[in-house]
Amino acid sequence: MQRLSNTILALRGLSSGVWVIATLLIVSAFFVLMRDPQEKGDLRFWLFSLEHRKMYIPLIERHEQTTNIKLDVELMSIPAIQSRMMSGFFGGLPTADLIEIERAVAPQVFMGPTEAIGLHDLTDLLIEEGLLEQLNQPSLAPWSVDGRVFGLPHDVHPVMLAYRADITEAAGIDVTQAQTWDEYFELLRPLMADTDGDGKPDHTPLSFWYTNQDMIETLMLQGDGQLFTQGGTPTIDSERNAWLLAKMTTWCVGSDPVAIYVDEWSAAGHRDKVDGLAIGYIAPDWMCSIWKMHVPGLDGKLKLMPLPAFEQGGRRTSVRGGTMLGIPKTTEQFDRAWEYAKLLYTSPEVARELYREVDIISPVRSLWDDPVYDEPDPFYMNQRKGRMYIELAPEIPLRPSSPYNKQAAIDVRDAMGQLAKFAEENRLYTIDELLPRARELLAGVQRQTERRMARNAFAAEDLAAAEHGGEE
Amino acid sequence: MSAGQRKLSKWAMHAILIVLSIVTLVPYGWLLIASLKNQDDFFSAIFLPPGDGVFGIGWDKLTLDNYQNLFGLGFGVNLVNSIFYSATTALAATLICAATGYVLAKHQFRGRNLITVVVLGALIVPPTLLLAPGYELLYDLGLLDTAWGLLLPLLAPAFGVFLFRQAVIQSVPDELLEAARIDGASEWSIFFIVVFPLVRPMIGAFMLITFLGMWNNFISPQIVLQTADKQPLSVAISQLRGVYKTDYGLLTAATVVSVLPVAALFLLLQKQFISGLTSGAVKG
Repeated sequence: MQRLSNTILALRGLSSGVWVIATLLIVSAFFVLMRDPQEKGDLRFWLFSLEHRKMYIPLIERHEQTTNIKLDVELMSIPAIQSRMMSGFFGGLPTADLIEIERAVAPQVFMGPTEAIGLHDLTDLLIEEGLLEQLNQPSLAPWSVDGRVFGLPHDVHPVMLAYRADITEAAGIDVTQAQTWDEYFELLRPLMADTDGDGKPDHTPLSFWYTNQDMIETLMLQGDGQLFTQGGTPTIDSERNAWLLAKMTTWCVGSDPVAIYVDEWSAAGHRDKVDGLAIGYIAPDWMCSIWKMHVPGLDGKLKLMPLPAFEQGGRRTSVRGGTMLGIPKTTEQFDRAWEYAKLLYTSPEVARELYREVDIISPVRSLWDDPVYDEPDPFYMNQRKGRMYIELAPEIPLRPSSPYNKQAAIDVRDAMGQLAKFAEENRLYTIDELLPRARELLAGVQRQTERRMARNAFAAEDLAAAEHGGEE
Repeated sequence: MSAGQRKLSKWAMHAILIVLSIVTLVPYGWLLIASLKNQDDFFSAIFLPPGDGVFGIGWDKLTLDNYQNLFGLGFGVNLVNSIFYSATTALAATLICAATGYVLAKHQFRGRNLITVVVLGALIVPPTLLLAPGYELLYDLGLLDTAWGLLLPLLAPAFGVFLFRQAVIQSVPDELLEAARIDGASEWSIFFIVVFPLVRPMIGAFMLITFLGMWNNFISPQIVLQTADKQPLSVAISQLRGVYKTDYGLLTAATVVSVLPVAALFLLLQKQFISGLTSGAVKG
């Protein structure tokens, strides 16, 4: 008793803040401990998008009523999914029964040998159930290893060019006449005049810069540039990649560059867009809804058209971003998880919502006839942009699922920065002048990537096999 | 310097401080105002929305809808969780670190130096490196998705143990401990009655640091807690951000709700916090 009173006496000297914290603990503990625990479902689904969850919930609730199989939908950030999933896969621990995985994270899953991938191989099921042919084929590439498919694609994400039609039409320019990037820049050259006398062009044809890795990768893919083969062998130093790098660098250098830096996400960048600093913007389907939300000042001023090609007859689209749905091998209820996967990823209802809410087109080709894709969009001057994106969807380039792709793309961006610096320092502004240096820089990136891959026992085996003619 | 010059210099100093205070407070003001705006005004007006009211401001456009929507989404549960996790960690970690620091500083036993080196070594291990093995360990212990799973690894931070060890070495004379032992005090009494009051400045500072650390902790709760009604504010706020679009009014309201309690706590503990941080600074 004496000891207790002495202790209390000693604690009396503590500050009011400490007592406040102690009181908070007691009150909050009461609420936390009194709360009824949430009822656990039969299956668990991890996803990272608030929008996706909103679309899935009504469908899941209806499915739960008819089948009596409860699916717990757990929303979390992309890094959290990545940490939990990879910890689970490495440690052989249960994860969720269904996981939505974003493009930037997915390649990590494919780091080891094919048989050790933590997700179920869905290829045979997709063939058996006739789903494989219903899906847009190029959309499967990022989720496939050695021809085996490990995830259902959520989207296609074709890319078009969004341009300030209000400005071009006022100037009497029909941008849609441009078949190639060269023609596009030539058509818009009159708009680069400095009529307001501020010493800068009033408008620049394209929002693009050598610091934007996503844009560089998107346009390289459009121009048939590939950093890796589908088998995962690095082809960074290919002649085509060097040419594309040199070509895109010429857009950003010299006395009158045809490309300009407009930040894609900041308020300052949005202001620049409204002011018409750049005329054209690289626009994957998902970007359409982002502009509606974040740049309302562009309402009724933009139109979309296929990307101008690098050469006559070349590809008029590309691809950027993506999500897949995978079923971990640790699930004890594969059949139930597969039923839910099909429900969520092939349902016409979700496809319709996906387009209405976030302008994303479904990869399920049988759903492309839905009238929702023909609805005119007032934000884009009443263009039927859903149909326009769908027409380009089968043309999107194949993307590798290599876990080294992300770092290689970053290194290529850095190489482009060095090439631009080299161009300015030496006043070399043509493709032919820049090509030798582009080759050197990409050869450096290739060596760096090969060194990185050599540290991975499995990738090193593949690399050695490819070097000995095992892979074309 | 004459009295007039001194007065002038004081005024100049105050003017500079007022300007700097305004610069510091502008983001908070912006945050508060943004939380009271609707989505259209959020993008069209930098500060207050224009209108027909006093000073040309649309006062009638300001709304509490974002706060209503926020608590309608069940944000109150996450707020209570944050308070519970932060208060538990702050109190328990302070007690454990103070006790461990005292033992390492004042008790002679075999392996003491080794333990001190291990504690110091633990300081250089990046916490992210422990995420995957920590996850596996929590799974093996059956503690995933439980409050214990989140709190246990945070109750004896190496930083706190080392901090209190140093505080005890500096503030608690051996003679005092010996006197208490001669008077028949138990080790328990010595810790609470003699040591604890002497390291009081450090207690306030460490408690605040720990409370804030847990309040802002994002990665651990994201990984460990999987059920929505167990997650703290930091995780709940991150989930308000969409991948394609975000309701910024809701997000700023949530940020205000998460900032206010810790700001209030800092005001309560600031004296001890500062004295804790500066204790020993002037000792020889």
